[in-house]
Amino acid sequence: MKTNINTTRDRRAFLKGLGVSLTLPMLESLGAASPAAAPKRLVVVGTYLGFHQSDFFPHQVGRDYGLSPVLEPLAGFRDEMSIFSGLDHRGRNGHEGWKAWMTGNGARSVSMDQLVADAVGDQTRFASLQLTCGRPPSGARLSHTREGVALPMIGRPSVLYQTLFRSGSDKARIDYLLNSNASVLDGVLDEAKSLRRRVSASDKRKMDEYLASVRDVEKKLQKQRAWLNRPTPKVDYTLPEFDPVAPDLSLECESIMYDLMALALTTDSTRVLTFLVPGWSQVFDINGRKLSAGYHGLSHHGNDPDKVAEYNLVGKEHVKRLSRFLDHLKAHRDADGQPLLNSTSVLFGSGMGDSNTHDNSNLPTLLAGGGWRHGSHHQIDREAGTRLLGDLYLTLMQRMGVKVDSFAGAKHNLNEALL
Amino acid sequence: MKRRWIILVGWLLGTVLHGEAQTNAHEGLVQKYCMDCHSGKDPDGDMDLSGTLIDWQSPETVSRWETVHHMLETQEMPPDDEPQPTAEERQAMLDWLGNELTEHGKIGGTVPRRLNREEYENTIRDLFHDPDFAVSNAFPADDSAHGFDNVGEGLVLSPPLLAQYLELATQIADDILPPDSGPAVAKPQEYAMEPDGFTEDTGAGAAFSKDRFRLASSLNMANSAAWPARFEAAQSGVYRLSITATPFQTDKMFYQKRQESLQLEVYARRSAEQVYDVFDKLRALASFEVDPEQALPQTFTCEVTLFKGEIFGLRWADGPAYSDGQVRAYSRTFLAERLTKNRRFYAAMLKLKGGRRGITQSEYYEEMNALIAGDDLDLKDSQLDALPQYWGGGLSDAPHNWIKAYVLEEMHRHGPALDVLSAEIEGPLSLVEDDESRARKARAALFLGDRPAEVADRDFVETVLRRFLSSAFRRPIDDDTLQEYVNLAMQGSERLEDGLHLAVRRALVSPQFLYRSLRPGVLDTSDLAARLSYFLTSSPPEESSSLEEVSAEVLERESLRLLQGERSVNFVRSFTGQWLGTRMLKDIMPDPRLLQFYDQDRRAMIAETELFFTEMLEENHPLVNFIDPDFSYRNANLNKIYGGDLQGSEMQRVALERGGKHGGVLGLASVMMATANGVDTQPILRGVWLLENVLGSPTPPPPADIPAIAPDTSGARSMREQLNAHRADVSCARCHNRIDPLGMALENFDPVGRWRDHYPVYTKPEDGAKRLKEEFYANKGPATRRGPAIDATGQLPDGTRLESVIDLKRYLVENMDLFTTCLTEKLLVFATGRPLSFGDRRVVEQIVHQLDPDQHGLRDLIVALVKSESFRTK
Repeated sequence: MKTNINTTRDRRAFLKGLGVSLTLPMLESLGAASPAAAPKRLVVVGTYLGFHQSDFFPHQVGRDYGLSPVLEPLAGFRDEMSIFSGLDHRGRNGHEGWKAWMTGNGARSVSMDQLVADAVGDQTRFASLQLTCGRPPSGARLSHTREGVALPMIGRPSVLYQTLFRSGSDKARIDYLLNSNASVLDGVLDEAKSLRRRVSASDKRKMDEYLASVRDVEKKLQKQRAWLNRPTPKVDYTLPEFDPVAPDLSLECESIMYDLMALALTTDSTRVLTFLVPGWSQVFDINGRKLSAGYHGLSHHGNDPDKVAEYNLVGKEHVKRLSRFLDHLKAHRDADGQPLLNSTSVLFGSGMGDSNTHDNSNLPTLLAGGGWRHGSHHQIDREAGTRLLGDLYLTLMQRMGVKVDSFAGAKHNLNEALL
Repeated sequence: MKRRWIILVGWLLGTVLHGEAQTNAHEGLVQKYCMDCHSGKDPDGDMDLSGTLIDWQSPETVSRWETVHHMLETQEMPPDDEPQPTAEERQAMLDWLGNELTEHGKIGGTVPRRLNREEYENTIRDLFHDPDFAVSNAFPADDSAHGFDNVGEGLVLSPPLLAQYLELATQIADDILPPDSGPAVAKPQEYAMEPDGFTEDTGAGAAFSKDRFRLASSLNMANSAAWPARFEAAQSGVYRLSITATPFQTDKMFYQKRQESLQLEVYARRSAEQVYDVFDKLRALASFEVDPEQALPQTFTCEVTLFKGEIFGLRWADGPAYSDGQVRAYSRTFLAERLTKNRRFYAAMLKLKGGRRGITQSEYYEEMNALIAGDDLDLKDSQLDALPQYWGGGLSDAPHNWIKAYVLEEMHRHGPALDVLSAEIEGPLSLVEDDESRARKARAALFLGDRPAEVADRDFVETVLRRFLSSAFRRPIDDDTLQEYVNLAMQGSERLEDGLHLAVRRALVSPQFLYRSLRPGVLDTSDLAARLSYFLTSSPPEESSSLEEVSAEVLERESLRLLQGERSVNFVRSFTGQWLGTRMLKDIMPDPRLLQFYDQDRRAMIAETELFFTEMLEENHPLVNFIDPDFSYRNANLNKIYGGDLQGSEMQRVALERGGKHGGVLGLASVMMATANGVDTQPILRGVWLLENVLGSPTPPPPADIPAIAPDTSGARSMREQLNAHRADVSCARCHNRIDPLGMALENFDPVGRWRDHYPVYTKPEDGAKRLKEEFYANKGPATRRGPAIDATGQLPDGTRLESVIDLKRYLVENMDLFTTCLTEKLLVFATGRPLSFGDRRVVEQIVHQLDPDQHGLRDLIVALVKSESFRTK
C-alpha cells in the first residue's frame, strides 16, 4: 500500500460516518433519573490562546448586535446563543489563569464540570471526558477533581475513538480485569477484616476507612461491568490512518475531536465534555495561505493590525469548527424528538482575556444551545464589581441538577439573562 | 466572660466525662479556678472540664487533660484577669495531673500509616526493580497532620484513591507480566513526503519555501529543522528512509561559500506532539554528506531503527550557527563572531534589542537592516567595546536570541542552508525490540527468578510469591496467607503469568502492603526495620537488612548505615521540606516589584537549606550550629539575597561569622520566604512559625471570626502600630505577647530573606503587574522606594529584650534545650507518624537531657531517638 500523506484529506469522507451515526437510536441510560427529567448535557470548550477581544465581542448590546468578524461563522445560531462580555474570576493574570478558568480560583479546588459530572455522571458510561489536541501546554488544564487534582486529557483521536467504541478484544480484556478485580477486592476485604479483629479501637477506625473504600470501589466495578455488558454503540466513522497530533495539524485534529464529541453525545456515552483547544507556535496554513508567524507569536500581536488580522483568522477557524459541531447537535434528535442541541449547553470561550498582555479580565464567553432564552449580547458592568463568570457557572450547574448556590466567590446566578 | 477566646483547639470536643471520679482535693481546685469558664452549654475554647468522672481510656480525654497540664505549667491559665491559684495549689494540680497522665498518656499509639505518595513510589521501585516508576500527576497529594505527610491520622484512604491504587496495580502487573498478545508481525507501509509534509514550528514561518524545506543550522529542534507531520512509526522496527536534498548557497551570503560537504543528520524523536527538543538529547540515526558544489538533487538512502510512536527529524548539523555543547558557549562564540566584525551591526542590535512585542523573524531582519543602513546609530557607545553578558529570562530577552532571529532569516534568504526536497520511508522491514520492552523483560526476569526445569508449576508460583509477598508486606509471609495467594494464582488461569498477575494485583491493594504500623504493642524486628527504613530513607527496608534482633546496638548500627546511604537524601528533602517549609516555596511568587526572581533562585534557596542540614547530619556538628553556625552553602543566584560575589550556579560551602544576621535556620532565605507571602512580611506568621518549629511551644489557632492583619503597604501605618493595636485586647495579648516579639525580630528579613533596614513602599499598584513584568525583564529594577525604618525590637514574656534577630539567636543559644526539644519532637513525629503523647514527651525530655548541644549533633540525636522506647512502640 502506498499512501501519499500529503494529499489534503477530504474532510467529508470523515463526516459521512457521522451522518450514519445520527440515525442511531438514543441509548437508554442505566439507572436514569425519573423519566420526567429529560437528560441535560454540558460541553465546555476553551481556546488556549484566546481571542482578540474587540473582534470577538459585538460592539452593540442586546438583541440587535452586529456579529463580530470572528464569530461570523455562527450567524446561523444567533437565536441559539448568548454572548457575555465583562465576565471573569478576578483572578491572576498570565497563562497560569487557566487553572482558574473552570475552578474559579488557582488553588486546589474543583472545576464546575466535575461538580456536574458528580451529579449526572452515573447515568452514562463515562461520567465525563476531558479532551484536547495532541499534547496540551503544561499549565493548561480545565477539569479538576474535588481534591484539586487536574484531570488528564485525551489528545489523540484514535485513543478517544477506542475509548468510546472499543473493539471486541479490548472488551474481553477489560471484562477479565473487572471480574478478577472484583475477586481481588473480596480477598483483601477478608485480609482487612481479619486484621481488624486484632487491632485497637483507634486502629479499627483506620481499618473501617479501608473497608468502606473497598466496598465503594466494588460498587463502582459492578457499575462498570454493567456498562461493559451493554454493547458499545456501533458507529461508522473513519479515522485518519495517523493521529494528527503534530502542532501544525492541530486544526485538523480539532475537527475530528469535535466529530467524536458529537458522537459521544449522540450515543449518550457521556453528558459532560471538556475540550481544550491548544495553541503552540505552529505556523498555520489557512485558505491556502501560510500565515506570517506562529500562532503564539500572533497572539502577542502588539496591536499590529496585520498580526491581529492573522490572529483573527485562526480564531475564526476555531469558531467555524464550533459552528459545525453545533450543526451536528442540531440535526440529531434526542429521545423526545427534540434537537440534541436544545438539551446540550455548549460553553465556548477562553481562560485568556487578552493574550497580548496576558490579561485575564473580560474573558471571551459564549453560551450556545441548552434551550436557554438566547439571542442577546449581555454586557456585564465589570466596574460594578458584583458579577463574576462563576455566576454563569452557577446557572449552568443548577440547570444540571447540582445543588450549589455559590462557587468560588460567586453568589448569584445569571438566570435573569437566560431564563 | 464569654467574649474571651481561650481557644483550646477545635478538636477537643466537649464530650461529657466518664470514668474515675476526680479525686477530691484537685476536684475542688479545678472547680474553683477553671469551671467558671470551662463548663456549661458554651464552654470557653470548647473545653468542658465539668463532669464527675474522667474516662482515662479515651484518647480524647487524655489529650484534653494534657492541654490543661500544659496551660497550668506555662501559667497561661487561669488568665491574668481571673483569680489565680497559689503556687502550692498550682503544684498540687500539676502533680495530680502529671501522675494520671503518666499512667494513662501511654507511649505509642500510632494508627496504621498508609504509604504516602513518595513512599509508595519508592516501594514500587524497589519491589519491581523499576527505578523510573512514578505515579501520574493525577495521583492525589497527601494531607499533612501534625506537620508531616507521613502521619497515620492524615493519611486518609478515600474510594477514588483506592480506585487509583487498583488501576496502578493493573498497570504494574501488566508491565512485568503482560497479557499474551501472540507473535508480533511486521506490517510494512510506505509513506512519501513532500516539503510541506514537514512540520513547521519556528514561530517565524521562513523555513518552508515553495518546493523545498530549508534547514538553516540551529541547536533547537523547533528552529529550522524538519520532521514529518503525518508519519509515526506504527511498530518498533527497521525502516528504509530516503531523503532528497540539495545545498543552498548564494552570492549574498555573509559567510564564505562552503567547499566542504554539508552534514545532513537524521535523529529519532519521541513523538510528533513534542515541539521543543534539543538535538544532543536525541538518538542519532544516520548522517549524510551533501556535496556543496552539486546543485542537482542528491538522494540518500539508509535503514534506521525507529521505536513505536517515534518519528525522524532532520537537520543540518555543521552550519555556521551551530556548535555542540552548552547553549551558552554556543551563543558566546556566535555573538563574538558576528558582533565584533561589524560595529554597525552590533549597535543596531543593541538599539533594536528583542524588537517590539510580537515581531516576526522576517520583520526583525528587515528592521535591523534598515537600522544598519541608516544614520541613527551611536557608534561611540562604549557598550560596543565588549560583548553583551549572557543573561537568562524570557526567550525573547537574551542577546543570543536577538541575533539568532537575524541570522536564521539571513540564512533562509541567502544561504548557506540545506534544502530538503522530499523524503520517503518504508517499513517496518523487520521488527526490533525497543529499549522499553527489553527493560521490561529484565524486570520480569528479576521478579520471577530462575526456574529449574524439574520444578512443578505450583512450587514455582509458591517460590515467586513467597519472595514477593515477604517484600511487599515487609515481613516473612505466614503460610496461610501464602497458600491463599498461591491458590488465587493457580486457579483458573491457563498461563502461569496470568495467575501471578492476579496475585500481584491483590497484593498491591492489600492492607498489608498499603499500611504499616498494623500490629499492636512493641514493634517486632520486621515492623521496626520498616519504621527505621521509611524514617531515614522514605523507602522500604532492603531485603538483606531486616533486623536480626531488637537491641540498642543493632538499632544504632542500622541507623548509621541508613544515614550514610544514598537514600538518606529522601529524609533530608522530606524532613526539611516540611519542618522548614521549603516545599511551600514553589507556590510563592515574589512580587516583581521587589526583585527579579527566577526558578533557579528558588532552587538555590532549597539547595542551601538541604546542604546545610546534610552537613549538620553528616559531620554531626554540635546542635547549637542549627541556630548560630559558621557555614552555609550558596551560589551566584543567592548573591541577590545575601549580597556577595559568588560565581557560578554550583553550590559552594561558604564560611560565616558566628553571631551574624544570616546563618542558621532563622536567617535562611528559604525559611524567610516560606513564612512570608512573596509581597509582604507578616510578623505574626513568622512568630507562630518560630513558636511551632523552633521553640516547640505552639500557640492555639486564632479564633475563627478574627480577620487577619492586612499589611498596610502604603507605609502609612507601621506593622508595629498595627500589632500594638491588636495586642491592646487582653484576650489577643495572651498569645500575641509571645508571638509578636519573635515575629518582629525577623522584620529585617524581607519576603525573600534579604536584609533590609527600611520597609519598601511600592511605587506602582499591584494591578500593573503585567506592565511591571515587562519592565523588569527590561532590567529596570524594583518598583519600590524606601519607606519607614524597621524597628525589630521587642521583649520576650520572660523579660528578655531583643534588638534584632541577633539577640534572638543569642537567646536561643543560651536556652538550647528549647530548640533541641522542639527538633526532637519534630523528628519523633516524623519517625513514628503520630502526635506525641504525654509519655512520649517524657521520653523526649530524657533524650534532650542526655544531649549536650555544644557537643552532640544531629546524628547523636537521631540515634538516641531510634533507641528510645517511643520509637520502638507502635
